[in-house]
Amino acid sequence: MELGLDVRKVDSYSVVDVKGEIDVYTAPKLREKLIELVSEGSHDVVVNLEGVDFLDSTGLGVLVGALKRVKAHDGSLSLVCTQDKILKIFKITGLTKVFPIHDSVDEATGNDR
Amino acid sequence: MIELEIPPRTAYVGVVRLALASLGRGLDLDDEAVDDLKIAVSEACTNAVLSNEEAGGDHPVSIKWTQEAERIVVEVADRGTIYDRRGDDDSLSSGGISARVTMSVAMLSSLVDDFEISPRHGGGSSARLVFPLS
Repeated sequence: MELGLDVRKVDSYSVVDVKGEIDVYTAPKLREKLIELVSEGSHDVVVNLEGVDFLDSTGLGVLVGALKRVKAHDGSLSLVCTQDKILKIFKITGLTKVFPIHDSVDEATGNDR
Repeated sequence: MIELEIPPRTAYVGVVRLALASLGRGLDLDDEAVDDLKIAVSEACTNAVLSNEEAGGDHPVSIKWTQEAERIVVEVADRGTIYDRRGDDDSLSSGGISARVTMSVAMLSSLVDDFEISPRHGGGSSARLVFPLS
């Protein structure tokens, strides 16, 4: 099982396009990538979950951990997600109140205006 | 009844997810029901694998699938202690293992008809997940 992670710059944001399944086996790879980005000075991060088929509590834990890290640098972490099955996980766990969740990368980076 | 046994390694959780989703599709469950089944069983298996890991054991995790008239019952059994730590620290900001288990239990409770954790004779826990068939 592979997790695809592509990072690109959009203005001052680092956008991570995630593809595949985020579970207990693959989540450490996402955690490492997010830690690397923050330690390299990317404090405004957008995680694009549109290519994600599956997300579990381990993945949620990684996102919460990354949010803590960017906040420590006065940064931001927002998500892009329109898939009902993934949004459902954020709703059940109450994390829709914790993360800004956008419909597109353009919206998350303020380029939709 | 169908029984699977996996080594307590994170790589095998995806295998169980695939197998049970395939069983669910074979019963003509709709996509949403299959997704719920996948998420819930995956959470229970993740907890079981991490529970064994935390306890330092190498006991396999067993998954039992029983189909009844109007429901499916899935039981996931481990030899660890992870559920005992639920609620030790509910703070999401802590990002700790118990915060993850709390989220996991919230997901399980919400996605299945009935969810129960019982201690096992000889140590460990058994998580029982009930899904409606209709």
